[in-house]
Amino acid sequence: MQINFAGREIGLKLVYYGPALSGKTSNLRSLHQLTSERSRGRLMTLETKDDRTLFFDMLPLTLRAEGEERASGGPPGMTLRIKIFTVPGQVLHSSTRRLVLQGADGVAFIADSQISETEHNAASFLDLRNNLKELGLAIKGLPLVIQFNKRDLDHVRSDAEIDALASRGREPVFKASAVRGDGVIETFFGLLHLAWTQLDREHQLAKMLGIRQEALLPMAARQLGLSKDVSVLLSSCVGGRLERRPQVSS
Amino acid sequence: MSAAPPDVRLQDVILDARIRLEDLVDPQGLNELCKTFVALFGIPVRIYSIDGSLLVDSASENELCAYVNASADGRSACAAVVGGAKSREPGEAGDISHPCFTGAVYRIIALDYDGRRVGRLIIGPFVPSNVSGVPASLLAIHSSIDKARAQDLLDKMPRAKSQTVTRIAGHLKSALDLLLFSGHKAFVTSQMHLASVRESYRELEEKNARLQEAFDRLKELDRLKSSFLATVSHELRTPLTSIIGYSEMLSEGLAGDLKAEQLEFVRTIHEKGGQLLSLIVGLLDLGKLESGTMRMKLQIIGVGSVLREVVSTLTPAARKRGVKLSLDVAPGVADVRADSERLRQVFLNLVENAIKFTPADGEVALSARMAPPTDGASQTEDEGIALLAPTREQVEVHVADTGIGIPVRERIKVFDAFYQVDSSSTREYGGTGLGLSIVKRLVEGHGGTIRIQDNEPRGTVFVVTLPRPEPTMAEATRVA
Repeated sequence: MQINFAGREIGLKLVYYGPALSGKTSNLRSLHQLTSERSRGRLMTLETKDDRTLFFDMLPLTLRAEGEERASGGPPGMTLRIKIFTVPGQVLHSSTRRLVLQGADGVAFIADSQISETEHNAASFLDLRNNLKELGLAIKGLPLVIQFNKRDLDHVRSDAEIDALASRGREPVFKASAVRGDGVIETFFGLLHLAWTQLDREHQLAKMLGIRQEALLPMAARQLGLSKDVSVLLSSCVGGRLERRPQVSS
Repeated sequence: MSAAPPDVRLQDVILDARIRLEDLVDPQGLNELCKTFVALFGIPVRIYSIDGSLLVDSASENELCAYVNASADGRSACAAVVGGAKSREPGEAGDISHPCFTGAVYRIIALDYDGRRVGRLIIGPFVPSNVSGVPASLLAIHSSIDKARAQDLLDKMPRAKSQTVTRIAGHLKSALDLLLFSGHKAFVTSQMHLASVRESYRELEEKNARLQEAFDRLKELDRLKSSFLATVSHELRTPLTSIIGYSEMLSEGLAGDLKAEQLEFVRTIHEKGGQLLSLIVGLLDLGKLESGTMRMKLQIIGVGSVLREVVSTLTPAARKRGVKLSLDVAPGVADVRADSERLRQVFLNLVENAIKFTPADGEVALSARMAPPTDGASQTEDEGIALLAPTREQVEVHVADTGIGIPVRERIKVFDAFYQVDSSSTREYGGTGLGLSIVKRLVEGHGGTIRIQDNEPRGTVFVVTLPRPEPTMAEATRVA
C-alpha cells in the first residue's frame, strides 16, 4: 500500500498465489478481458519459453474515485492504482514468490479444484504462510480470499464439498473457471472489498480522502465496465467472513 | 531467527516506479521513429519529457517562419508562440491546439503511460485545412511583411485536417506506448533478476552460516571427546600399573611361593593387565595424534634397520603360527626423516596384523624400495614432471600377506578407530581395532601415505610410502 496524500494517489498491491498450474495467470488474462480498456493497462507477463510464469504477471488497473467534500476542505477523490500480481507457482521459485509477496495488501489464493491437486493446494498454502512469516507478516491479519478454480473440469471436488469446507473457514471462498471467465470478477471484488476495508480502517481513508468505504466498490465496478451489481458479485462467495474481518494489530 | 526483509527498493520498481520516458526509450531510436512520421506526413514532431526537456526535435524551420524571423518583432512574436506551445499543459483531455499568429497551429498532446503523464508530443506547426488567406495577425507583426509573399509561403506550409492530425497523433502515441511497455518490461525483468539473485544469495548465506555453526559445534564436541579419552586413559593407567606390578611380584614369588594353580591365575592377571595397558596406551596415542599433541623426534634414519629390528622381534611369533616371515631391502633405499620408535611401532603393528590374519603355511613378506610417485598412472603426462619428479621419489615399504584379504569397499574404513572389517573377527583374532588408525596417523605424521592393495593370488599388501627428506633440511624435533 502506498498512499500519496499530496498527489491524491493510492497504490494497492494484490497478489494471486497458488500451486503451479492452478490458473493464476488465467485469472489475470480473464480479468484483463472482462474489464474496460479505459481502466486497465497492458497485462505484463514475464514467462519462460514454455509459458510458465518466471517472475510474475502484472495487471494494472487505474480507477478514478470521486470523493465527497471533506470537512478539512481540499479537493476530494483520488486515483486508485491497483496492481495485481501472480507469483510463479513452481516449487523452485520460492524466493521469487517471497519477493512478489512483499508489501501485498491482499492475497487471492487460487486453488485447483481437481481432487488430485488437493495436496498441492495444501503445500502451496503452507508455502504462503511460510513466506509471509519470513517477511514478518502473519497470515491472520492479511486480507485473503480463496478461489477454487477449474470448476469446468471433471474429477473435481463437488460443490457441496467446497461449501462444507468453506463454511468452516474464515476466508471467503469463490468458485471459478478462469478460462471461461466465471467467478474471476467475483474473486477480485471479494479481495478488493477485504483489502479496502482493512486499509480504510488502518488509514481512515474515508476521513482523509472523502471516499466512503461502501462507495468504492460500486465505483470500481462502474469504471471497469461491469454489468453486475457489486452485491450480486459478492454474494457468490461461500463461507468465510466477507464482512467481518478480525481487527488487525500491526 | 527471522530473516532480514528482501531488498525494499524492488517494491518501488515493480509497484510504483515513476516511469520516465527518457529512461525507458533510446533517444536516438525515438528520433528515428519521429523522422519516419515527418517523412510520411510532412508535419514536424517534437517530444518533451514530463519535466519539459526536449527529447526529440524533428522540426526544421519552414520558409514562412524564416521570413517572419527576419525582423526583430517577428522573432520575438515567434519566440512567444513557440515558448507558449512548449509550456502549455495539454489539460485533462490531453489534447489541445495552440495557435500561431501566422494562422498555423500546434497540437499539444499528452503522453500517458500506466495511468500517469510521462511527457508531451507537439505536432506542428501546420496549417489547418479551414485557413486559406493570410490572417491579419501575421500582417500586424511588422510593416515589412508582404502579403503576397506571406501567402506564397503560407501555401508551402504543411496543411492538414484536424482529424488527420488526431489520427497521426494516435498512431505515434500507440507506437510510443509499445516502446515504453517493452522498455518497462525489460527493466522490471532485469530488476527482478537482480532481486532474485540477491534473495537466493541471502538464503544461501543463511544456510551456510547455520552449517558453519553446526560444524563448529561438532568440532568442539570432537575435541571434548578426545580430551575426555586422554584423561580417562591416563586415569586408568595409574591403577593398572599397580595391578601389573603387584601381579608380577606375586608371580615371581616375592610374597612367598604360590601353588601351581595360583601362579597360573596370577600370570593370567598379569598378562591381561598387559593387554589392557597396551590398549590404553593406544588410546592415549590416538588422542595425542588427533589433538596434534604427539611429539615426534625426527631424525635421518635407515628404513632397513627399522625393518630388520621388526622382523627379528616378530620371527618367534610367526614361527609359532607357522607363517614364513621374510625381508627384502632393495639396494639404494634412501634414508628417511622419522621418529625411529614411532616408525618401528608402525611396522610392528602392520607385520603383527599380517601374521595374525595369515593362516599356517602362509607367508608375510616385507620389502622396501625406492618408488616414483604412487598415484601417477599417467606419470609422463604430469605437469612440470621434469621439475618435480626428483623430489617426488619416495621410499615404499610393502607388507604383503597371504591372509583373508580386505574387500575393496572396506579399505578406507579399516583405518577408522575401533573399526574391524567383521566384528566377529575381534573374537577370532583379538585386537582393539585401534592399531590401524594409529598406524595411519603416524604415517601421515611423517608426511607419508598408507594404502591397501590386493596380493596375488590372495591376501593383502599394505603399502607405506615415506618421503625422501629434503637434503637441506636440518635435523629438528617437531610437533606432528
